[in-house]
Amino acid sequence: MYEDIALYALKVAEEFNVSYAEVRYHRIDGFGIVSRNGLIIASGYEVSDGIGIRVLVDGALGFSSTNTLDRESIRKAVEDAYRLAKAHSRLMKKPIKFAPAKVGRASYSVIEQKSFDSIDIEQKIALHRELWNSASKSIVDAKVEVFTLSYNESIEEKLILNTDGAYVKSRIPRLSVFYNVVVSHPQKGSIQRFEQFGGSGGFEQIKQWNLEDIIVNETKTLEKILLTAVEPPKEEIPVIVGSEIVALIVHESCGHPSEADRILGREAAQAGKSFIKPNMIGERIGNQYATVIDDPTIPNSYGFYLYDDEGVAARSRYLYREGVINEFLHNRWTAQIFNVDSNAAARAMYYGSEPIVRMANTYLKPGDYSFDELLEDIRLGVYIKSYMEWNIDDERWSQRYVGLEAHLIENGEATKFVRNPVLELTTRAFYSLIDAVGKDLRFYAGTCGKGEPMQGVPVWFGGPDVRLSKIRLGVI
Amino acid sequence: MDGEIEIAQKLVDESIRRGFDEAAIVVTSSRRVMVKIANSEPTVIQRWMPIVIELYLTKDRRIFVGSYEPKSIDELLRSIDKIYTVALKVAESHFYAPLPDSMTVRYIDGLVDNRILKAMDEIDVLSERIIEVAHREKIDSVAGMLQLTYMKTALATSKGTQLSESKTALQGYIRAFVEPGGSGQWCFTSTKYDINSLEEMASIAARYAVDSRNRVDIEPGVYDIIFSPMVFGNLLDYIVDMASAFSVLMGLSIFMKSGIGGKVASEKLTIVDEPRNYELPNASSFDYEGLETYNKPIIEDGVLKTLLHNTKTAKIMNTKSTANAGWIRPSPWNIVVKPGDTKLDDIISEVRRGLLITNNWYTRLQNYVEGLFSTIARDAIFYIENGRIIKPVNKVRVADSFLNILNNTEYIGRELYNIQWWEVSTPSKIPYVLVRNVKVSKHII
Repeated sequence: MYEDIALYALKVAEEFNVSYAEVRYHRIDGFGIVSRNGLIIASGYEVSDGIGIRVLVDGALGFSSTNTLDRESIRKAVEDAYRLAKAHSRLMKKPIKFAPAKVGRASYSVIEQKSFDSIDIEQKIALHRELWNSASKSIVDAKVEVFTLSYNESIEEKLILNTDGAYVKSRIPRLSVFYNVVVSHPQKGSIQRFEQFGGSGGFEQIKQWNLEDIIVNETKTLEKILLTAVEPPKEEIPVIVGSEIVALIVHESCGHPSEADRILGREAAQAGKSFIKPNMIGERIGNQYATVIDDPTIPNSYGFYLYDDEGVAARSRYLYREGVINEFLHNRWTAQIFNVDSNAAARAMYYGSEPIVRMANTYLKPGDYSFDELLEDIRLGVYIKSYMEWNIDDERWSQRYVGLEAHLIENGEATKFVRNPVLELTTRAFYSLIDAVGKDLRFYAGTCGKGEPMQGVPVWFGGPDVRLSKIRLGVI
Repeated sequence: MDGEIEIAQKLVDESIRRGFDEAAIVVTSSRRVMVKIANSEPTVIQRWMPIVIELYLTKDRRIFVGSYEPKSIDELLRSIDKIYTVALKVAESHFYAPLPDSMTVRYIDGLVDNRILKAMDEIDVLSERIIEVAHREKIDSVAGMLQLTYMKTALATSKGTQLSESKTALQGYIRAFVEPGGSGQWCFTSTKYDINSLEEMASIAARYAVDSRNRVDIEPGVYDIIFSPMVFGNLLDYIVDMASAFSVLMGLSIFMKSGIGGKVASEKLTIVDEPRNYELPNASSFDYEGLETYNKPIIEDGVLKTLLHNTKTAKIMNTKSTANAGWIRPSPWNIVVKPGDTKLDDIISEVRRGLLITNNWYTRLQNYVEGLFSTIARDAIFYIENGRIIKPVNKVRVADSFLNILNNTEYIGRELYNIQWWEVSTPSKIPYVLVRNVKVSKHII
């Protein structure tokens, strides 16, 4: 039924004098359970279900959406998108055009090993109780004051049509689990850890994530940090930046500044501009270890897709290659301006969102060092494994990461815990100071925010552990 | 009865008939149009007309919430049937409290401005005007957003509540750029069609851009900082959210360690939740449980007066709801800081060595319980020495704790600004404030 109404929307749009029209039927069925200290607070369903329509009229872009899917409402939505774009076309100094693209006519699905419906809700409830029991009993000297868990499953279905012939149908189930643990001690205060797990696929991921072991180990570690951590050394030292932080760094300081719409200033009033200017392809930003890839096609990834929301086939993008700015993330508008092909980075959060340039799964290319090899030559250094606080400026240049689990490195071995080490450096400094890269690539799930209204889309960020030759750490 | 209430009541009745103990249904229909601007031209014009149905159902102290966009009542009833099939398999909620009885609610006057409805059809005129006003200063370009909204909310509950309310909103922000290196940003929000304030927004952004050209670096350290309403609004967005009792229970609040009546801020500071402020877009006469809203100080003269509650968090903490529901999570409606009596120029004159930070973004916390945070200043930042603005400076980071910020606030501006934008989600009325001894950091390499 929705296919008919989407085709009808495209037909109505074609009746107007548009240079491009795109219709996206987009439905997300979500279910979640939230608990505190093993006790359920509530369960919830969330369904978004509607059609988004984008039209290009005399160089202006109009977007309209509706969740009332009768013909009259659809016609009204198309008319509104057309009328608003037409009215604003007189204000366009540089009329918008879309680059030609080979668009797909395809259908694809991610197939769960264990569909969400096949798992009894009692099993999903039990997860909350079991993880709380394990976490709360794992420490003795300090106490787990709060442990909250959020379980969320969703199925996203889309049909993308446009006037260039795109017809792409997709179905992607996703699962994510988020926890927050607060460990406290009467004299030592408190310490806190958030962690999210996410991927495309079904309930089978719960087992793959090994949640119980991870949460128990994290809780024990928090207790030790709270009770025993020391200040980081004040001198310049080698620092091993853990995979979890490397993953975030490449997302923030390579992925975001490589978004071509940001480079062109389209996000200037929101997330900002980019230190990368339009003519900087080929400029050096780091050394030979700095190769960052964004790839939507990684199986089971949280940011998985095979066609973007403009109907273009996805592929991996080498954003930085061996230290050189290599490729931007494009949709069809930015591709036209840069005279390249779109590399399929257009994504929309739900039917009411315009597709904009987004990352999918961004990671630093792994090297060939084992973890022990990264450590072995360090006489005095710090290994920062995880973080809580971070931020980066609106041109993606100056960034800060505050370590949560961090260890002193003494004579090639990770020893005492270090409290709140601060890594505060520029993008060029990070990519230039890497002198060894681990071989173990790991991915982390997150929700990346961008756009107006804000669109949060699922992404993975990844990386191995890396070693920075020498840097001075701060402390809070 | 109007259409939304009829739908809500029908769904309440059907939910009870199907065996649920309690039901509350909110039907929201809205119209919204937004122009996004960059490089002094529109980048996209967006329009939405969603109808959303939210439901709250309980069965034997089990709680279910939902948000749906059904194409028919029957489709939604099938979803309710589906919930019932799993209802008793879910554990009881330790948050459970009965819905409150129906009460008479006094409605806030003046939440709908018909000029906003009319302007929805000619938002291109507004966009053009804002761009033009910003360019009266010698700037290179502007970016920003302009949005007009009409929203109608209807609530029915199984306790007999039937309430509905409509409101309008005008929201916008502008960021102006001028070489070398200057930028400024400002915003405005209101339920009213207030063109003068929109124009003032564009002018302030442009003026800050021009004044902040040719920036120089400063050293990290400890400074007295004047936070603009944009920046203090962002910090209060986090801090007031921590005053939600839900945040306290979930381990996400500096107020976990504070008792009601305890000193948490400078005695100069009073922060009020104002649902009945008819000028701010989150004004609401009733909450999601059907209770009449009321204005309340969260922090008064530096003392924590109340957390924000719905009936559930109130029951857990042995107090009364503050009419801030959210069925699960109580939230602030609108945030208002009680104005002081000092002009901005006089505040500047009180600074021996400090900064005026006009905008920020990306506030993140190392620990919500301790309130350790950092945030990055952006746009115009000025170095102040001996009571005078000396020079514009490059980006720095404020890295301190929320409790220090609250306790070290010394001067409160007398003029309030309507603030809401990407980094301030709750509509707020905020002054400039001076905070003593704030830690400032920046990258070292």
